[in-house]
Amino acid sequence: MHVPQSKIRNKSKEGEEAKALVLLDRVRRGDRSAFSELYQQYHPRLYGYLLRLLANPVMVEEVLDDVMLVVWTDARKFRGAAAVSTWIFGIAYRKALTAMRANRRYQSRLDRNADLDAIASESMQHAEWIRAGLAQLSPDHRQVMELTYFGGFSYQEIAEIAGCPVNTVKTRMFHARRRLRILLPVLAGETKEQSSERA
Amino acid sequence: MNARRHLSHEQAAELLPWLVNDSLAGEEKENVLVHARDCVICRRDLDELQRYRNSVAGAAESMVIPAPDMRNMNVRIDGLIDRQNRRRQWMPRLRDMVFSPWRVAFAVQTILVIVLASVLIWPGSEDPAFTTLTQPQELPDGHYVRVVFSPELAASEFSDLLDELSLTVADGPSERGVFTLGYSGTLAEDEYAQLLEDLRKEANVLFAQPVVLGDIR
Repeated sequence: MHVPQSKIRNKSKEGEEAKALVLLDRVRRGDRSAFSELYQQYHPRLYGYLLRLLANPVMVEEVLDDVMLVVWTDARKFRGAAAVSTWIFGIAYRKALTAMRANRRYQSRLDRNADLDAIASESMQHAEWIRAGLAQLSPDHRQVMELTYFGGFSYQEIAEIAGCPVNTVKTRMFHARRRLRILLPVLAGETKEQSSERA
Repeated sequence: MNARRHLSHEQAAELLPWLVNDSLAGEEKENVLVHARDCVICRRDLDELQRYRNSVAGAAESMVIPAPDMRNMNVRIDGLIDRQNRRRQWMPRLRDMVFSPWRVAFAVQTILVIVLASVLIWPGSEDPAFTTLTQPQELPDGHYVRVVFSPELAASEFSDLLDELSLTVADGPSERGVFTLGYSGTLAEDEYAQLLEDLRKEANVLFAQPVVLGDIR
């Protein structure tokens, strides 16, 4: 029997959510072992998400610990209006945004020129193109792309994470795609000739 | 039953990224799929988005994620708990110190004593730079009379009368219109009595009385 991918994903998501909810309830009462379990559960996703945004493992570890410290201290404030993962990623979103903005000037000077040169090189792998292209986006646009394609979040969940209306999420995605299309014409399906004609 | 709704191209196009990441569901997903089936632009966009997704997924798979290490986290939480415990130890003491009824009473009493002492020790407000005629003041030694003039007395007549009798206004008029007039010079007792006599004879003087220094005015 064929089971659609989305159903499998949704079921595993629901299971994860239920488990996280129980753990968070224990964390609220100061249970360190529950917090440890919650940390283990979210570490891979948060680490991957933050690493894609910050590209610096040392900084990622710091920000991830900052995020989880807020989870520990603010567990009482969680009212269950959103999913636990949305709440935790909301904290990560804000921490990452702060770190990205603080790091941006430095990062952009180091990476941008190199990345732009790299984008032009046809020998690059698609994944590298994407990474280089995403690095050119503004932090807000970048986060929408990452939360969608890396995090697998719905646009409603992204709106909750980012604390903005759903239309803002759609608009950010629209602008991010438009910018990526310009930066990555080959990946967007254009031939080299088409992209040079457009340029 | 699924109520299908026709989506405009713009509405469908902006949902495509979430069709690709498989987070659209139910009616919304159906509507986007129905539109994308017949829309060349959306199908092209779907291809593009699928390539983005595959690239990100590929990058994610090759990402090296270290095993969770909670050592730093635990140190930070221990520090946090220590601080909270210290605060918890201090709070009841502080509460006892601040909210004990005896201490509150003592504090109120101390404040009252300080306020009273301040009032007694510190000089009152300084005298103003000007005085009014109704303001009480000490009279220097000399001869004075209290006089009530008729309301018909004109200012010029008043001035002439004072000149004629060598009198000046030392105080007043009071709320009841009483002037205290001083004689500019020295007077013997009989001269003082004469002065009073002269004043009482004036048509515009309703009342004239000697002033004994030290009287309450």
